[in-house]
Amino acid sequence: MTLHPTSSFCLWFQYEVELFQNEAACQTPLDRQYHAEIRAINKAKGRRNQRIFTYTDHDRYTNCFSLHQLHNDLVSATKSSPTFLAERMASVRNRRQERRTMDSSITKSRIINWDPTDEFVKSSHVVNNAMQTMHIMGDLGPPGKLGQKENECLLATIKTDGSGTIIVKPNFNKGREPYRIVTNGEKREVWRLTLENASRVMKPEEREREQIMYKDLYNRHKEYLNSLVGQDFEMPPVGILRYLLHGEIVSANNFEYDNLYINFFMELPNNWSSLPFQSMSGVTQTCRTKSLGKENVAFFSYPFSFEAFYMSEKENEELIPQWPVLYFKVLSLDFWQRYRTEGYGYLLFPAKPGKHTVTCHTWRPVQTGTVSALRRFFIGGSAELEDNSYVRVPGTFKGERLSRFGFCTETTGSVTFRLHCMQQARAFADAALLKKRRQKVVDHLGGFSQQGMVCSILEAYQRAHKRLQEARESLPRDVLNSAAQLQPESSA
Amino acid sequence: MAELHIIGQIIGASGFPQNSLFCKWGVHTGGAWRLLSGLKEGQTQVDNPQTGDMAYWSHPIDLHYATKGLQGWPKIYLQVWHQDSFGRCQLYGYGYCHVPSSPGHHRISCVTWRPLGSWQEQLAQMFVGGGPQLRNPDLIYSGADRYRLHTETMGTVELELGIIMRHFDKYGVES
Repeated sequence: MTLHPTSSFCLWFQYEVELFQNEAACQTPLDRQYHAEIRAINKAKGRRNQRIFTYTDHDRYTNCFSLHQLHNDLVSATKSSPTFLAERMASVRNRRQERRTMDSSITKSRIINWDPTDEFVKSSHVVNNAMQTMHIMGDLGPPGKLGQKENECLLATIKTDGSGTIIVKPNFNKGREPYRIVTNGEKREVWRLTLENASRVMKPEEREREQIMYKDLYNRHKEYLNSLVGQDFEMPPVGILRYLLHGEIVSANNFEYDNLYINFFMELPNNWSSLPFQSMSGVTQTCRTKSLGKENVAFFSYPFSFEAFYMSEKENEELIPQWPVLYFKVLSLDFWQRYRTEGYGYLLFPAKPGKHTVTCHTWRPVQTGTVSALRRFFIGGSAELEDNSYVRVPGTFKGERLSRFGFCTETTGSVTFRLHCMQQARAFADAALLKKRRQKVVDHLGGFSQQGMVCSILEAYQRAHKRLQEARESLPRDVLNSAAQLQPESSA
Repeated sequence: MAELHIIGQIIGASGFPQNSLFCKWGVHTGGAWRLLSGLKEGQTQVDNPQTGDMAYWSHPIDLHYATKGLQGWPKIYLQVWHQDSFGRCQLYGYGYCHVPSSPGHHRISCVTWRPLGSWQEQLAQMFVGGGPQLRNPDLIYSGADRYRLHTETMGTVELELGIIMRHFDKYGVES
């Protein structure tokens, strides 16, 4: 319910009627509107209000009224002055009244107010719910002397804001003792005031209809969103795990020389495959370092994406799938085009999905003796690895023990990667539906896995065994109880 | 028919040679992604901190995507600019990072770099400002052409992102 300060809700005081009849007294457009309506009423010889009339925010009345009313309401001692905040809140209503009616559809063209006036400061620094107010007044003068401004008295105040809150002060007191108003006039009269909430209660059918309408609206919105989104989703074929890695090469720090770039490539072990257009290597830009604290860092911010598929074919191979590896090397390229290797490193793709921030340390091979060091310093160029995968396990390695004895390296800086890993498989969807406990990736990769079947059979057996045990445990107690009961009965 | 919510803010930036910075940001996705609601690009205000090094923007990011596949996961690209007292704008860095793919609250420091010209251009940049910019920033998303650039390290942009994923587990995605 919204209260509009229109004439249909406005009842005029006799004093107002006389005031607005005189056209010279009309200043604001609202006054002029009142004037037109009063003239219409006079013409039609309509009923004039006798005792009860109203004031709203837009009328001139509220100006001198607010402050006094405020602190009288709250605190019993009349000597106290209103608080700082109360003063500010009260004068907000002031401002609304004096403002000329503006077209509210004009949006603010300026974002910043360079010279805020006091009024602006008051209204924007203080939270105020814009509330519309109507004061119901009574003309409590002696009969025959109606229409005197001194005899008007505030009976009740109705405040509402745009969101459906209505505040009525004083509260409804139907059925309780009525309020007493004592007039100060020639005769001190006592008036009794009763306020009653006479609004119609919404019938249950109407309320139901409202609920149904809301539900309908929400359903329709949901359907609209669903239709935007669609029902399909791209899934890998059965028995295949899709591994998605989105990552960035973030930075490289603590390397010896400047103007670094990173050259990396990815290697897939057995049982892994990737799409043909998937790029398996990359080169970052050449980045000049800056000093951050005690280290020299180079920020690359190089995003890369990687997608691969894993298919486990045979069961007698190793059950732990081998994850792909990223080998990288850091190089520096000088202004004079001296080119040096700064370090080699590798990164094993994470097995667990999620976000990983990995810092890989690097080393570079050195040759003993001064010649290579001098060469590296003056001309550039140093020993390089022929096979990049030597960093981890060389591709040509067969056997049980890897020995790097006799290989000299020097520790260089570190490279930071930020990885986001996702895995997708049809089996995960089924597992999520059936809420199975997760064991190994291999088990869940497909229906042709014998081991998976064996495991599920074992699980079922264990569950049945547990249930049997529980039943057996509870049984003796019952049997005992019933046996105990039987005995006294039989003896009796 | 999976949905992704990205709700967070660009907190601010630090580590740049001068303050009085603003940031142009955007989110880039693949073809299978559809933006249901939210603004996928914008520009922050210029912030000039009085004390300390970090310029704070607190710029909100609120996006709702729907997707039919996992390809083309969204990436955030940032361009940090500096506005000096004369009102001139100068590029201070490009930064790229992926939107996290695991649900939850993530604090990401996205590092930035800016292209470097020849030494004459660097000298001019020291006095007058300006400097080379990427002609087409879109080329840099994939990273294939990056090797041609010579860049220098600039500062970091802090982002705080909350990720909410819906229906991804129905299609067997673990994240």
